Amino acid sequence: MSDEEKKVTIETGEAGKGTTEIPDDANTEEVEERALSVFSSDRNEDITALIFCLITTFLVLLFTKWLV
Amino acid sequence: MTHIKEQTPTLIMGAMLLVYGLIAQSGALLPVVKYLHTHKTLDLQVTMCLIVGCIALVGALVNSVRKPGHSNLDTFILQPLGGIVLILVMAMLIRWYAEPLMKIISQSLQPVLGFKIYKVLNLNYVVLGILAGVLLTNTWGIPKFAAPGVKCARFVLKMGVIMLGARYSFAELAKLGVYSVFLVGFFVLGTVFLVLWLGNLFKQPRSMTGVLSAGMGVCGVSATVAVAPVVKAKSAEMAYTIGTILSFGIVCMFIFPTIGKLAGMSPVQFGAWAGTGILNSAQVAAAALAFNAVDIETLKVAEIFNITRVLFLPIIVLVLATWFGKESGHKLSFKTVVIDKFPVFIIGFLLLFFMSSIGMFSPPSHYKGKYIDVSYNDRTQVTQEEWETLNKAMAAGEFSGLTPKQLEAVTDLIKQRQIAGNFEDRNNKKEFDHVGRARMAQLEGVLAAAKAKQIELSADVKSAIKHAVKQVHKKSKTVVTLTDFMIWFFAFGLIWLGMHITKKSITQAGGWPIVMGVIAGITKATLSFFVVLWLIKDVVLN
Repeated sequence: MSDEEKKVTIETGEAGKGTTEIPDDANTEEVEERALSVFSSDRNEDITALIFCLITTFLVLLFTKWLV
Repeated sequence: MTHIKEQTPTLIMGAMLLVYGLIAQSGALLPVVKYLHTHKTLDLQVTMCLIVGCIALVGALVNSVRKPGHSNLDTFILQPLGGIVLILVMAMLIRWYAEPLMKIISQSLQPVLGFKIYKVLNLNYVVLGILAGVLLTNTWGIPKFAAPGVKCARFVLKMGVIMLGARYSFAELAKLGVYSVFLVGFFVLGTVFLVLWLGNLFKQPRSMTGVLSAGMGVCGVSATVAVAPVVKAKSAEMAYTIGTILSFGIVCMFIFPTIGKLAGMSPVQFGAWAGTGILNSAQVAAAALAFNAVDIETLKVAEIFNITRVLFLPIIVLVLATWFGKESGHKLSFKTVVIDKFPVFIIGFLLLFFMSSIGMFSPPSHYKGKYIDVSYNDRTQVTQEEWETLNKAMAAGEFSGLTPKQLEAVTDLIKQRQIAGNFEDRNNKKEFDHVGRARMAQLEGVLAAAKAKQIELSADVKSAIKHAVKQVHKKSKTVVTLTDFMIWFFAFGLIWLGMHITKKSITQAGGWPIVMGVIAGITKATLSFFVVLWLIKDVVLN
């Protein structure tokens, strides 16, 4: 019972509609933020986006500039 | 096949995409896509539908027989597949059907309303994508099968922001007039800091203040989208910002021309004021044309000021990223603010901006990869039918209302079948280019005069001249392709953004963004009005 008393309900994304229970000492903002993404951290998300974009840019340059 | 029921929606979407792709490939959709003016995208429609359809079918079948796990394949591909396909289908419907339909409807309503709703309300894929997301989430809700996939969209939105960097370059700023850079720079930074100060005064969240400051200071919707992940803005905050910018712009678009005329502003002064005070690019152009439909000088000056403002985006992104890193911590060192807290994807945006500035995608002096090519080229010629139309019109004296310079440009167009300099000057590139561009400007003047009903030209003649002008406007293929990727990333990410805008989140954000936006907007418009009257005489451009 004591465990349940320490928990708070927050919005966890699920397109803004879902809720979940987390320990009341957890970083609520961080949990809400993570619930909106499949990545475990902002840094992972950013680095993956950066790598994908660099690959895309390289391929675009290859097929529209360097190989033509 | 234990999970087949959960995978049914993905299977259906996959099958529908495959069927659509095959129908499009057979050419049966040609009349429809021609009506919608999307025929140039038909190849892309076929390729995308077949590829996405196949992936959806295979993925859904794998998901049906496989027990869900926690591997990277499950987390990043198999589980989110349903949501990714759903958002992609929505993005395709918006890009290929909703947006073109909106253009056609607003075109047909123009005679009744006097303006194009599409341009005034900025109903492009950005706004339509957000609206589609809002509609779905507030009516049926996000389907259960799509929930994991929807979580991939912020990542895609960040990719869009990185690609946005390819559209800017330092060289563009350098070639603009000193006045416009100084004036616009002052107002952009001034507005950003004013909104940040107002946010502090009204005790608004930093994310809200940050995104609103960029939207009000720089260039409206694209600045809002670019800055939102930097300051971790919530979807409702972005929706408020975009709503504030667009509604403020609509009011300005109607009021600015009237005030400009009452104050007796010159075309150059009004162009500078509209380009500085109105936020949205389409609304700037509409206000400039409302002030002066014939003399394209107003529109040109307004566009120069508007472009200058847009070019400040990379600087503002840097300023706000540093401000947000600094504000969100306690007594942070330079290292913490700039290295640890700085969003990594913004480095990607700056990297592409740098690559564009050194001319990797297109010569750096070309704004968004666009340039004018008036050299001799078979591809820039008008068609045989168009040439005959122009010849007949000349013989029939249809061009009698033109000025001597305009007539000379039309005569030369008929003679050379394209817009170009004089053949004998072809070795003097500078002179050749100068004459060609002057002829293009004269032909644009002919079209503007015809639009303002100062001269009467048949629809075929206007279409032939329009085509000739279009032929010399070129775009770098690299920049066009990179922009296409950016548009698809944004379309995908913005639908997700709309899905987070629930009635509840809008109520929670309150009406403060509108109050702050209106205060900042009116201050900027009023101050720029007096500064333009005081500083801008007639010469703005280099």
